[in-house]
Amino acid sequence: MEMLTITNLQKRFGAKPVLQGVDLSVPEHSIFGFVGKNGAGKTTTMKAVLGLLRPDAGTILVSGEQVVYGQTNTNRYIGYLPDVPEFYGDMTPFEYLTLCGEVCGMKQSEIRERSRELLDQVGLGAETHRIKGFSRGMKQRLGIAQALFHRPKLLICDEPTSALDPVGRKEILEILLAVREQSTVLFSTHILSDVERICTDVAFLHDGKIAKQGTVGELKTMGVSKEFILETVTPEGAVKLVQEFGRYLTMNPSSKQENVISQLPEEWKSGQSHKTELRFTGEEELLFRVLQYVAEHKIPVQKIEWAEPSLESLFLEVANT
Amino acid sequence: MKSFYAFLKKEWLEILRSGKLTILLILFLLFGIMNPAIAKLTPWLLQAMSDSLEASGFLVTDVQVDAMTSWTQFLKNIPMALMAFVLLCSNLFSKEYQSGTLVLILTKGLARYKVVLAKAFLMVLLWSVCYWLCAGVTYGYNAYFWDNGIASHLWWVLVCWWLFGVWVLSLLVLFSVVYSSNSGALLGTAVVTGAAYVAGIFPKTAAYTPAMLMDGASLLSGAAEPETYGKAIFITIVSGLIWLGLSIPVMNRKQI
Repeated sequence: MEMLTITNLQKRFGAKPVLQGVDLSVPEHSIFGFVGKNGAGKTTTMKAVLGLLRPDAGTILVSGEQVVYGQTNTNRYIGYLPDVPEFYGDMTPFEYLTLCGEVCGMKQSEIRERSRELLDQVGLGAETHRIKGFSRGMKQRLGIAQALFHRPKLLICDEPTSALDPVGRKEILEILLAVREQSTVLFSTHILSDVERICTDVAFLHDGKIAKQGTVGELKTMGVSKEFILETVTPEGAVKLVQEFGRYLTMNPSSKQENVISQLPEEWKSGQSHKTELRFTGEEELLFRVLQYVAEHKIPVQKIEWAEPSLESLFLEVANT
Repeated sequence: MKSFYAFLKKEWLEILRSGKLTILLILFLLFGIMNPAIAKLTPWLLQAMSDSLEASGFLVTDVQVDAMTSWTQFLKNIPMALMAFVLLCSNLFSKEYQSGTLVLILTKGLARYKVVLAKAFLMVLLWSVCYWLCAGVTYGYNAYFWDNGIASHLWWVLVCWWLFGVWVLSLLVLFSVVYSSNSGALLGTAVVTGAAYVAGIFPKTAAYTPAMLMDGASLLSGAAEPETYGKAIFITIVSGLIWLGLSIPVMNRKQI
């Protein structure tokens, strides 16, 4: 069964179309990565799901129930963690969670028990200070606790790890993994390693539409061109290869063609760098041509290997189309 | 109702811990003390200044003060107190919009109308506590020094002014919902209150405007009877309810 179904969602801000017919379905008990560039419309989509933003067209169903703008009925199924969660600074974490429980209509005994349980789970069990003195990471953890408070069927997290240090990121991802048994998780991000680490399903949002959607395994192989990595011993050799095969290199979207040399790192051009790893997009035929060129020009090579298909490659490919 | 009380409790906690309640209580207490104090000090002040006043051609004779002087002072001071109250409470909504704190609570399923009602209720409650504290302190001192019986229709005067304050707050709620900034809320409230005041200047409209409730001096001196305020009271109550009622659909459509 689908926990969230979005059909033909459209939204424009003034003359700028942000969502141009988003179709998305999130299966129950999945951890769904919602990937897109900054400004792609991820937060807009999430706010529409929460009924906080009026879409221009389209329908959104949460657990089979239609979302109506300005009304909060479907929000009883949803727990929401924004990218920067904001709390009432004069309250303690326990008081804030108590407010959440009371707003959800839970019993006092259950509220107390659940507050303690969740605060312990996110490592804020001993915290009695007011929230206004909390760090970003502490706020993020409290954000997760409030989002999970009423045991939501759908947990929506908007870039929950983007501003955290590696330890904080790991903690948040582990909590999301643990939540999967009870809830469906939809989380937006542009950190693809996080998606590969915990997600079961992924959708790429590009140009206001879902460009690709599927399980992580499916997407890794879906339409991705093969890639191989070649590492030269000297920067000079790398520069020669770039001049010859520049258009096959996986680099910045804008640097694929003739301007690729101008975009090379300055250290390469000055010969001060030893990091000369090149990533080529192409099949065996290209590999043989590159090897032939390397042999003919006597370019010393450290390593050459096929690259593992990755979501990053697919994302870059989607972003470049 | 449980979620309404929960949000109301949050509002109360916030106003308590932010120190806003203490500031308002001290302010209104000072205003309450100031009314009889100024009345009491007037003869002494005039006496102290009599030499310089005499030099200017004014002759200071025996100055009589009573409870009426103090209540007149109350009517002069209370508009300032109301303005201070409105200024201090003008960010009750805008703070939530700008910081984004409302988003998490709304996504917990709290109906938007409960947010409007809880904040409006708290504002009216606070205004009532502060206003009656001020009036009570003035009444107490007046009773101690003089006799409150000299002021005609005193309770009418006090209730009218309290009601006018509630009407202004209902405007503040509406404009706080319409605009996301403090300045927008204050400007909207000031413009409508100003319009009501201007309407009160013209004899044909004076009896129908909420601004008439500010004119307590005529009632105190016995120059007017409470019945003449009937239409203004009715219009104040009805329009106040309309402002509050309008706030709810506006809030439901507001992008947060």
